[in-house]
Amino acid sequence: MSDQAMLEVEGLVAGYGTKKGFVRAVDGVSFRLGKGRFLGIAGESGCGKSTLAYAIMRLLRDNARIESGRILFKGEDLATLEPEAMNGRRWTDMAMVFQSAMSALNPVLSVGEQLTDAVHAHRKVSRPEAVDLAVEMLRLVDINADRLKSYPHQLSGGMKQRVMIAMALILKPDLLIMDEPTTALDVVVQRSIIEKIDDLRKELGFSVIFITHDLSLLVEISDELAIMYAGRICEYGRSRELFDCPEHPYTEGLMNSFPTLSGPIVRMGGIDGHAPDLLSPPPGCRFAPRCPRAEADCSRVEPELRDLGDGRLCACPLGGRARRGGTR
Amino acid sequence: MNGGYALELRSVRKHFPLRGLMARGRFVHAMDDIGFSLGAGESLALVGESGSGKTTTASVIARLYEHDSGSVVVDGEEIAAFRSRAEALRYRKKVQLIFQDPFGSLNPTHTIRQILERPILIHGLAKGKDELEARLREILEQVGLSPAGEYLRRFPHELSGGQRQRVNIARGFAVEPEIILADEPTSMLDVSIRMGVMNMMLDLKERRGVSYLYITHDLAGARYMCSRIAVMYAGMIMEIGPTDEVIQGAVHPYVRLLKAASPSPESGLARTRVAAKGEIPSLIDPPSGCRFHPRCPYATGGCSAAVPALRDIGGGHLVRCVLA
Repeated sequence: MSDQAMLEVEGLVAGYGTKKGFVRAVDGVSFRLGKGRFLGIAGESGCGKSTLAYAIMRLLRDNARIESGRILFKGEDLATLEPEAMNGRRWTDMAMVFQSAMSALNPVLSVGEQLTDAVHAHRKVSRPEAVDLAVEMLRLVDINADRLKSYPHQLSGGMKQRVMIAMALILKPDLLIMDEPTTALDVVVQRSIIEKIDDLRKELGFSVIFITHDLSLLVEISDELAIMYAGRICEYGRSRELFDCPEHPYTEGLMNSFPTLSGPIVRMGGIDGHAPDLLSPPPGCRFAPRCPRAEADCSRVEPELRDLGDGRLCACPLGGRARRGGTR
Repeated sequence: MNGGYALELRSVRKHFPLRGLMARGRFVHAMDDIGFSLGAGESLALVGESGSGKTTTASVIARLYEHDSGSVVVDGEEIAAFRSRAEALRYRKKVQLIFQDPFGSLNPTHTIRQILERPILIHGLAKGKDELEARLREILEQVGLSPAGEYLRRFPHELSGGQRQRVNIARGFAVEPEIILADEPTSMLDVSIRMGVMNMMLDLKERRGVSYLYITHDLAGARYMCSRIAVMYAGMIMEIGPTDEVIQGAVHPYVRLLKAASPSPESGLARTRVAAKGEIPSLIDPPSGCRFHPRCPYATGGCSAAVPALRDIGGGHLVRCVLA
């Protein structure tokens, strides 16, 4: 992990109030994000990864709340910050790019108006200054300045997502949270956007939290990787190493779940069963019912996220004990 | 099969007319000069980005649309508009389509039993109750839903996405078709579930000897599932051939771009910088000549003049590029 923490999440519990009770979609999540680092959070639908992002941004819906835990952003706890103060942090210090770029832009405002609106809302600048900033940002994401006058429907899906990224970065935030930003896009467009984010991060020095279900993508692009399952982080580590040598059986199963473009074509396993209902999660390890290596104790004792050394954390008692060969 | 193909398309074209006053006489060029063959028991992947025409191709083969020109030959018989219900039934007994969306393609008010027995009854494939029951159980077991009796009672909303897609696939196989058209059958499933469904489809193919036309946007998934691959771009096939010849030995600049852009954790981002430019063109006024030429780094003057032919470069590997 790197020197100085941009964001430190400690024991975060967040979820949704429902008729059947409180669903702990994020159940005791802790991690640390260094300055300028790229953290990937991977998990399947319903694992709580989006709730985590919305909780950090304090953008949870009305029926959702942060139950406990701390979100330290540059030393300040966002979890208990007053809404007004939070407004001052959002966009200037931390920004978010949403999955549905198609619907996140206002259809009746031009791209230029939307970009400058964001600037005016948070900074006291003159109109020409705001326009200059908008042009500069569009240039950074490879969109011609004459697109300022375009409306969202005149842009392709990839361009809309670029505009969203330009808009998120226009006030030069320190943290950019991206929730499945490329899921609706085609591979080639996805690739160009990811390369762009990587370039911008190196140029502007912000930290990134990139959330997706597409693990094969994350392994390539992120420095560190957190694997979430049923509201918890089950493994954390440097992405390359996590891919080469997963310690948690769930991570191992995931890494064995996507075919590759090269090498021999071998039958891959995937993972049997399906994710648990978070209203009544299974006792002990939440992955135990699906785990090929589960022992009797696994469904009794809740495993801790243990430090295995060398930046690797794993919530499985088997982690680190038995280094397994032939993971892929 | 008389040594012929289960399915053959020859220069099939499908254009959709645009509606509205201003759009009169303009068309969406969804399929142009699409030709390929699928042997009995073979699997061919149709790979492309959205708007490449791959789903239209499946829909034309499934007779959801009539093609404008060219021919679609199934089992040695050229297909045209159905003249009778009997003819339609006969065709659908041979060719079945599996849809992408496991949530929208099952009737929520029907039990799994009702969903699965309907095609068997319509096609008269079971004599008597016992045989029907046996068939239902067999197909459910084969798609990995057991105990079958338990699932037959349930409604779609009681199943997970992966289980629903298994029911969808079971329904496709229930009439014992010769050809399965699978339109992105796993793209809406979670990663950990996806592999199980793909493996199950591979097993079913082995067991039942069907032919697959497997439609996907995922090059690696296509490689896992199929022995041959056709890559489509903007309504045309750009490259087709044995899987690894097309992937490892990609010739067409678009296929090489697609390959470089596909996530591949073995390599890492730094190595695979692709500097991809542009996006798939509008199919309303597709580029003249080669449809990829506006984005192609190797394009020359001739590329915008004429549509290159799909040429055989040996071993059943065909490429639509003048440079090939």
